[in-house]
Amino acid sequence: MSPQQSTFPALKRRTMDNRPVRTKRTGAIRHLLLAAAFLVCSSQLLMVDANSWWSLGLTPMQRPEMYIIGAQPLCSQLSGLSQGQRKLCQLYQDHMTYIGDGAKTGIKECQYQFRQRRWNCSTVDNTSVFGRVMQIGSRETAFTYAISAAGVVNAVSRACREGELSTCGCSRAARPRDLPRDWLWGGCGDNVHYGYRFAREFVDAREREKNYPRGSPEHARMLMNLHNNEAGRQAVYNLANVACKCHGVSGSCSLKTCWLQLADFRRVGEFLKEKYDSAAAMRVGRKGKLELLDKRFNPPTTQDMVYIDPSPDYCLRNETTGSLGTQGRLCNKTSEGMDGCELMCCGRGYDQFKTYKHERCHCKFHWCCYVKCKRCTTLVDQFVCK
Amino acid sequence: MAGAIIENMSTKKLVIVGVILLLFQAFAFMVGGLIAPSPTTAVHYLATKCVDKVKKPQQTKWFMPWGEKKCVNIQSFDEAMAKGIEANNIVFAVHIPLPNKEMSPWFQFMLVILQFDIAFKMYNQIADGALVHIDVGLAYRDDMNSEWTEMAHSLEQRKLSCNFTATKTHENEGRHYECDLLPFMEVGSVAHKYYLLNIRLPVNERKKINVGIGEIKDIRLVGIHQNGGFTKVWFAMKTFLTPSILIIMIWYWRRITLMSRPPVLLEKVILALGISMTFINIPVEWFSVGFNWTWMLLFGDIRQGIFYSMLLSFWIIFCGEHLMDQTERNRFSIYWKQVGPIVFGSFCLFIFDMCERGVQLKNPFYSIWASDIGTELAMAFIIVAGICACLYFLFLCFMVFQVFRNISGKRMSLPAMSKARQLHYEGLIFRFKFLMLVTLACAALTVIFFIISQVNEGHWHRGEHMVQVNSAFFTGIYGMWNLYVFAIMFLYAPSHKHYGDEQSSIQCITGDAGVNSCEDIQPTTTITHVDGPTEIYKMIGQEAQE
Repeated sequence: MSPQQSTFPALKRRTMDNRPVRTKRTGAIRHLLLAAAFLVCSSQLLMVDANSWWSLGLTPMQRPEMYIIGAQPLCSQLSGLSQGQRKLCQLYQDHMTYIGDGAKTGIKECQYQFRQRRWNCSTVDNTSVFGRVMQIGSRETAFTYAISAAGVVNAVSRACREGELSTCGCSRAARPRDLPRDWLWGGCGDNVHYGYRFAREFVDAREREKNYPRGSPEHARMLMNLHNNEAGRQAVYNLANVACKCHGVSGSCSLKTCWLQLADFRRVGEFLKEKYDSAAAMRVGRKGKLELLDKRFNPPTTQDMVYIDPSPDYCLRNETTGSLGTQGRLCNKTSEGMDGCELMCCGRGYDQFKTYKHERCHCKFHWCCYVKCKRCTTLVDQFVCK
Repeated sequence: MAGAIIENMSTKKLVIVGVILLLFQAFAFMVGGLIAPSPTTAVHYLATKCVDKVKKPQQTKWFMPWGEKKCVNIQSFDEAMAKGIEANNIVFAVHIPLPNKEMSPWFQFMLVILQFDIAFKMYNQIADGALVHIDVGLAYRDDMNSEWTEMAHSLEQRKLSCNFTATKTHENEGRHYECDLLPFMEVGSVAHKYYLLNIRLPVNERKKINVGIGEIKDIRLVGIHQNGGFTKVWFAMKTFLTPSILIIMIWYWRRITLMSRPPVLLEKVILALGISMTFINIPVEWFSVGFNWTWMLLFGDIRQGIFYSMLLSFWIIFCGEHLMDQTERNRFSIYWKQVGPIVFGSFCLFIFDMCERGVQLKNPFYSIWASDIGTELAMAFIIVAGICACLYFLFLCFMVFQVFRNISGKRMSLPAMSKARQLHYEGLIFRFKFLMLVTLACAALTVIFFIISQVNEGHWHRGEHMVQVNSAFFTGIYGMWNLYVFAIMFLYAPSHKHYGDEQSSIQCITGDAGVNSCEDIQPTTTITHVDGPTEIYKMIGQEAQE
C-alpha cells in the first residue's frame, strides 16, 4: 500500500507550479508494460493511447458502493485510464463516479459553447470520445482538455460538499486517519482547493507518466496538454468568488468568515471560450520548452490556453484528421456569424425545408418537477448544409 | 496626600514598565498569529435531495444524506420529473459535519447560511419580492448508530433577493441567478457530535406558498463554526489574564483603602473598569465544553458590551476629572449627560442582541432580518446606537480639547513658579499627554487591525509558516485592552512614596527636588484640602485658591 499511497499525498505538498513529479516505482512498471505492449502489437499501441479518461463521461458507471470490498473490478473495468490514473482509481474509488460526472459536464459544456461552430465538439465513440481530431494539437484540442479538467474540479468539489467523498476537506492532512485532530484544531473547509488538487493529480497523471525525449513533438504535446489542463482548473478556481458573512457581537463585523463559492459551470465555459479565442500558438524551443511562435505577443500565463498545431479543415469529412465535416448541420440563414449558412456550409450551399416546431407555452410551474403547459406549434424554416 | 505612581515613578522605571508591557503585547499578537489557527471555518454542504414517498409526511422520520441509512435520493430534478415525484415529496437533507468528522463542544457555536441555486427559465422566473417558505427540522445524535433526536422544528420565511446578470433571453436559460446569502440557523453551543437538517419547501398553490420562486436546482448551506484550536488558545489566554488583572486590581484597591481619605470618583471608575475587565476575562466558557449551555454566546456578548460601555465611560470621566476648571466634580451625577448616550446606546444594542440571539435560544432558525418589521426594528436599534456613538465621540473630542486647552493655559502660569515645581509640573503634563496618546494609540491600533483583518484574506505566508492575521487581531487586541487596563490600574494606584501624612513632609517631590520646593508644596496641600489622586488636582486646587 505504501508506495501507492504516496502518489497523491506526496504530490500534495507542491504548490501551484507545474513541475512533473513522478514516483520511481511506477516508472519501472510503466517501462515494463510499455515494452511488453510494444512487443505484442505495435500497431495497437496507437489505439491504446487514443483511449481517454474522457470515456468515463460517456460510459454509465455503477455506484462505487458496490465496489467497496472488491476494490479491483471497477478500476480494471474502466477503459481509458492510464497506469497512474488506474492507481489513483484504486486509492480513491469513490471519486471515480464524480470524475465521470466531471467529464460529462465538460463535454456537455463544450458542445454548448461550440454549438454554432464548424467543429461542434461532437463525440464519436465510447473509447476515444472525440475521435482522431484530438491527436492534432490544435486550439480545439486545447479547449477540450481545459474544459474537461475544469469539469473534474467542479465535480469533485461538488461531491465534497455533498459528503460523498471520504477523503475530502482538510488540505494539509495527508491521510484520513489524521483527520479528526486537524479538523478539531483548524477545521477543514476549502473543498474547492481539494477539487483542484485532486483534478491535478488525476488529469495530469496521464501526461506525466509519459517519458518522451525533450524537444520531440510528443514532448511538446505533453507540455501543451499540461498547460491547458492547468488553464482549465485555474478557470474554475479563479472564477470562484469569495462570499463572506459577518457574525460578531450584535451582528457587527468584528468576526467575519469568508469562503470560496464556485461559479456555475456555464460561466466557466464562457470564460474558457474567451481563452480559446485568445489562445497562444506555440512551438518547441531550443531548450525543449514551449515558446511563442510570434515573439511580439505576451507570453501566455497559466490561465491562458496554448496550442502547437494549426486546426484541421473542419469543413469536409476527413478520415486522417478525424474531421466530421459540416454536411447535414443546421445553419442560420440570416446570421453572418459562424452559425450562418455561408460560413457553416463552407460555401457548398444549403437545403431548405419546412418543419413544425413544438413549443411549450402558457406554463404553470412549481420550483421542482411540476410543469403544466399548453403545446404551441409553429411552422419554421430550417436550413441544412449540403 | 498621595500622588499616583505615574507621577512619582522615575522615568527609567516607567520605561522599563512600558517595555515589559510592549513585550507582552507582541507576545499576545504572536500567540494568535503563530499558534492559533484562523478563528472560524466555513464548511460547504450541498443538500442531498431525498424522496419522501409517504403520502402523509411523518415528523419522526429523518432523512440521511449518506451513510448506512441513506435515503432514496435523486441526482437532479430532471430525474424527479421523469419519475413523477412532486415538490412536496422532496426533502433536502444535510448532515453536519461531512463524513468521518464529528462536531465538538470546542467549536463553541454553529452558524448556518442558506443559498439557493436557481436556474433562469424564460417562463419560470423569480417573482418580485418572492418569499420562500421553509419547513425545517434539526436533529442531533451522539453516535453513528443511535436514533435522531429532534432539537428544533420551525416554519420559516426568507425573502429571496436574486438578480440575473445576463440578459433574460432564451439563450441564457439554464444560467444561475445570483442570490444573496440568507441567514438560516444559529446555535449557541455545539454539544452534540452529529447534526441533521431536513428542509422542505412545501408548495400550496391556493395559499400562494412557494409559488414563483423560480426553478430551484440545489440548496447549498455554509456552516460556520469557531475552530477548536482557536478556542483553546483563547481560553488559555483568558485563564492567564484573569489572575493577572485580578491581582493588580486587589493590589490597587488595597492601596486606595490604605489611604486616609475616601476614594475619589476617578479611582472608583478605574476599579469598575478593572472589575468589568475581570468579568470579561473569567473563563466561564470552560463550562461550555462540558455543559450544553446555549446562552453562552449571548452571555459573551453581554460581557463584551458591559466592558466596552465601561471603557467608554471611563474615558469620559477620565477627561472630565482632568478638566482643570473651577467646578466641583468628583460626583457621578455630573457626567450623566455624557454617560447617558453610552448607556442608552449599549441598551439599544442589548435589546437588538436579545431580539436576535435571545430568541434563537428558543428557535435557532429565527432571524430578525427575515421579516420586514424585524428588519426595520433592527435597523432602528442600530441607527439609534450609531447616533449615540456619534454623540459620545463628539462629547469625548470636546472634553479632550478642553483638557488640552486648560493644560496649555496652566502652562502659561508655570514660569511664575519656582524652578523645581515648574519642572515637576512639566513632567506631569507630559505624562498625562502621554497616557492620552497611549489611549489614542490603542484605539488607532484596534481600528487599523480591524481594517487589515477585514481587507486581508485571513492569512499571510511567511516562508514555511502561516501567519493567521485574524487570530492575531483577536488575541492582540484582547491582550492590548487587558494591558491597557492593567497599566491604568498600576499607574493610577497611590504611590508608596507618599504613604501617610508623616512621610509626605519628607518625600514630597521625587527626583532632584530641593528642600525649598518641599516647603512650597506642603502648605498647598494642607490648605486646599482638595483631595485628588494626582498632583494636578492639587495644582488646580492651588490655582483656584489664588
